[in-house]
Amino acid sequence: MKSRLSHPFVQALLILAVAYLLFRFGIAYIPPLLGVKSAPVPHTVLLQYMLTVAVGVLLYVSATEDRWRAFKAPIQRVLVDPSQRLYRLALLVTVPLLAGFITYRQVRPSVEAPPNLRSIHPAPPSTITFRGKTMTLAGLENPLRKEGNLRDHVEEGRRVYYQNCVACHGDQLNGKGHFAHGFNPPPADFTDNGTIPQLTESFVFWRIAKGGRGLPKEGTPWNSAMPAWEDFLTEREIWAVIIFLYDQTGWTPRTWDTAEGGAR
Amino acid sequence: MTPESRVSFPRLAGFGGLVLLMLGAVAVPAFAQQAAAARDYGNFPLVGGRGAIWIAAEVHLMFAAFVLGVPLFAVTVEAIGIFGTDKRYDKLAKEFTRLLLIAYSATAIWGAILVFFLSTLYPKFWTYMSTIFHVSMWVYVGLFFFESFTLYLYYYGWESLKDGIRKKIHLGLGVLLNLWGTAVMFIADSWLSYMMSPPPQVSTDTAPETIRLWSAMANATWMPINIHRLIANVVFGGSIVGAYAAYRFLAARTDEERAHYDWMGYVGNFIAISSLLILPFAGYWLGREIYQYDQGMGITMMGGFMSWLWIIQAFLIGVLFLAGNYYLWVGMARIPGAERFTPYTRWILGVLVLGVLVWSTPHTMIASRAEQAAMGGSHHPLLGFLGVMSAKNTAVNLMILSTFLSYLLYRRANKRPSVSWARAATRVQAALFAISAAIVIFFGVYGYFVTAIVRIGFSVYQVLSVIVTIVTVLVLDVLMLRGAESRGAIRWGQMPARSQYALLVLAVTFTWLMGLMGFARSGIRQHWHVWNVMRDTSPWAATPALGYASKMISVCVLIFLALIAIVFWLGGLVEKSTYAPPAAAGAERAPERELAIAGGAD
Amino acid sequence: MGATNLRIAAVVLGTIGLYTVVCNAIPQVESEVPREMNLSGDVTPEQLVSAGEELFNGAGGCTACHGLGTRAPNLLTDEHGQGTIGARCGTRKPGMTCKDYLHESLVKPTAYVVPGYQPIMPDMSRTLSPAQIWALVAFLESQGGEVTVSAADVKAAAPAPAQGVAPAAPARSATTDPVALLRENTCLTCHHLGSEGTTIAPPLDHIGATRTADYIRRSILDPNADTAKGYEKVAGIMPKDFGERLSAAQLEALVRYLASRK
Repeated sequence: MKSRLSHPFVQALLILAVAYLLFRFGIAYIPPLLGVKSAPVPHTVLLQYMLTVAVGVLLYVSATEDRWRAFKAPIQRVLVDPSQRLYRLALLVTVPLLAGFITYRQVRPSVEAPPNLRSIHPAPPSTITFRGKTMTLAGLENPLRKEGNLRDHVEEGRRVYYQNCVACHGDQLNGKGHFAHGFNPPPADFTDNGTIPQLTESFVFWRIAKGGRGLPKEGTPWNSAMPAWEDFLTEREIWAVIIFLYDQTGWTPRTWDTAEGGAR
Repeated sequence: MTPESRVSFPRLAGFGGLVLLMLGAVAVPAFAQQAAAARDYGNFPLVGGRGAIWIAAEVHLMFAAFVLGVPLFAVTVEAIGIFGTDKRYDKLAKEFTRLLLIAYSATAIWGAILVFFLSTLYPKFWTYMSTIFHVSMWVYVGLFFFESFTLYLYYYGWESLKDGIRKKIHLGLGVLLNLWGTAVMFIADSWLSYMMSPPPQVSTDTAPETIRLWSAMANATWMPINIHRLIANVVFGGSIVGAYAAYRFLAARTDEERAHYDWMGYVGNFIAISSLLILPFAGYWLGREIYQYDQGMGITMMGGFMSWLWIIQAFLIGVLFLAGNYYLWVGMARIPGAERFTPYTRWILGVLVLGVLVWSTPHTMIASRAEQAAMGGSHHPLLGFLGVMSAKNTAVNLMILSTFLSYLLYRRANKRPSVSWARAATRVQAALFAISAAIVIFFGVYGYFVTAIVRIGFSVYQVLSVIVTIVTVLVLDVLMLRGAESRGAIRWGQMPARSQYALLVLAVTFTWLMGLMGFARSGIRQHWHVWNVMRDTSPWAATPALGYASKMISVCVLIFLALIAIVFWLGGLVEKSTYAPPAAAGAERAPERELAIAGGAD
Repeated sequence: MGATNLRIAAVVLGTIGLYTVVCNAIPQVESEVPREMNLSGDVTPEQLVSAGEELFNGAGGCTACHGLGTRAPNLLTDEHGQGTIGARCGTRKPGMTCKDYLHESLVKPTAYVVPGYQPIMPDMSRTLSPAQIWALVAFLESQGGEVTVSAADVKAAAPAPAQGVAPAAPARSATTDPVALLRENTCLTCHHLGSEGTTIAPPLDHIGATRTADYIRRSILDPNADTAKGYEKVAGIMPKDFGERLSAAQLEALVRYLASRK
């Protein structure tokens, strides 16, 4: 048994099998046992991972001459040895069948929408038009942070949020509002550090003002249910609700890189 | 493959096209005068105006990178030959230079094609650029003239400037050749970096006559691009030379030839990989300048429609790392005493594969609706953490460390250190590796808990710790192995063929990667000829998706490789082989010792 | 020698081929030239048509379903011998002009569902502006018919500049007559009741016999919570915004009415 396991061919198969099980099931089901959120790996990523591992295995078995010869031996035997005729025939049948099956799966028509590459934070335009007023986004700061009392702005933002946003983004700001389950992609979860802490306030302003339909193509505007709030809110209300979002979640907005050079 | 039969057609077509172009260039100005206002863009059959420019510029750039990169290390190799004792290096330098001579005219031909295409297909843009840059264009031509004649003198004077002080003069010629070449590249870079980052005071309404030449040249991305290209040229030249050696190795008939080209391939690969290790830092500088120049352009590059390009880049660089290490591991079979290190290679391989897995994990995953619903969006709740820069920087720094470790094992394989403190020094080296890896991982993990601005600063610490480790370990190693006794000579030429295919894959991947990164750099301007200054109003203004771009890149790479195959074949006609039997004593140790000095720069 | 050369060529071409295939296998995103569309002013029908064409193939996302022939009717090509959309739109609904029919199909897609298809189309006014919708109508009319959309339609559709906080939901009627509510909210486009409706979704005739009031309320507010047996294929089609559209009184009236249908 020990000698079987040390054979490169068996080792290669074992590594591939373990890697597959790990990527296919391990990533999805082991972390939840430890209380970490996870989900199944999409099949494209699974394929990419398996290819990488396969290349690694190939390099491993061919890195030294002895190992490479030992690895090739069973393959060569199946291909030429008269005693292996049955295996050879089985291979000759299964390989084309497998290829045919894969081809069939790929060309079979399906009513499912094609997968699309949705960029969550697409590049914002350099300027936007807000109710006839042109705003330059690069270097734009939240004007309310420099005037008046911050608490007042937070309260104003709270009012705006609970009148307009709560239905989707939820009263815990975690994107689990009453309507949330109906949307795919789901509403943004502001408590996640992948959302607003990665963004400048001007970016958030753009997303609120222009909504889903204002996304560029890579953001798949047809998928987003976010309304364009410029039709319903004033500029000050949007800035106030942004202050509320950051205040309530405890995140700080991304700041502009103010080192030398500077934005145009 | 018989090169003459395979490539004669494209060659003929190329020359035919050139003749037609020259005729066209004569004919065009005559009617262009009346039609100038009406015709901003020309058209080109089959691939369109942009496609024609794309191919001309990319193939020109590949040849240019080759003829700028090869002299850099031809001179270095010649210097090693002069100051060391090994005659093989001088022969090697001359063989490089001979390849250069033919590649040089190919560069010039493609440069001419590019200029003619620009002036006939993009006349308005060409007028704009030449209005600003005409003086630098004249200087460029002059420098090119000097460069050519220095090259001729360098190559044809090789034998007559062979002895004593004359050899030093010859070396000086080589240095001069590189100075001309670098100056030429800097000037050309100023044009294209102006297109990316014109000075802030230039706007759509600025008349080109009023823009001062120097302010246009010294723009934000000029220097980063210069440095990035300088290093990349060396990487590229080294890998092409490695491929040349691999080809000659596979075609070799005698053991002597095989030994020579095995060694040449090793040198080429060494130069390519060791320069590759510093390339990411130059690239990082360029990226940072782009971000500082215009945040929007930076986001377009990293997060916008180009974000997937970086996954492909990670995939290609993963191939480079794996193939480069693999070549070293397989090569250890020809070094006596290397057996004691082979068990370690599997762990290095493990780290590299993990690094590739992490580095190429996309942030936004391609998923069907059902998979997206399960993930709660297009970000995976767990793997999403691997998709951000913190994880990727950590992975790439660990991969650099692993590659360096592979090289260190290779270097030490047939040595037995004779100094008393060797054991202690080895422990220090191991500790340095461990500390550096710990620093890289610490900042990688800590990066998730801080704001973006702080996190960007972390990558500097990671890079610094890796550089410090590499330099210190290498210095220690050089001191420690001084006067070390040999466990046996390297058996040059006793290399399985698959290692040579790894060299070929390296060269093809480098070339393709260069095309891809060229697309990225040029594509982030999107629908602007000159960013936010001159708009592209041609039918080709939209920036294509990666699929189309990859086909164009493949076409460019194939044209380049086919032409370079002719160059190699012609080089073989001039002189069958430059193989010279090595001096029996001391030769087997020489390459490693000298190259350690060459490698000390990183 | 020949074998070696072939092998080298195979390695080189294989490597290049692999990279090209990988790049082409991922979804393709290109960067388009932003085009300033000034649809509010004195826009000509030609401008509307070209803007509409761009929307149809781009941001509108229409081609995801229309044109595959499995999910939605072909618009730009012939559909069961009736011609392209511009040729057949005037005869779809009696008494409705082509322009009105197309506009209704975009903003109220479930008002008329072509036989043989399921009511899966989203309300396009959610993602497109009124001017963009008129541009789409103009483009669709141009496909085999005559363009009748004019600048006047676009002008009339332009939203008045909003002042202060405007209600997010459209104005709704205050009626609590359950049958009127069922018609108004286009429930009978899919459900069947009495002599009206279709059988795409579960019939409501005797719903109260098998379902409690709580169940009905939940199904209206959260249609995906349960799926009736045999209707899994159409799960997810029912709009999820009735909680927004109906007032509490209307919802209760509807629930009580349905629960009493034993």
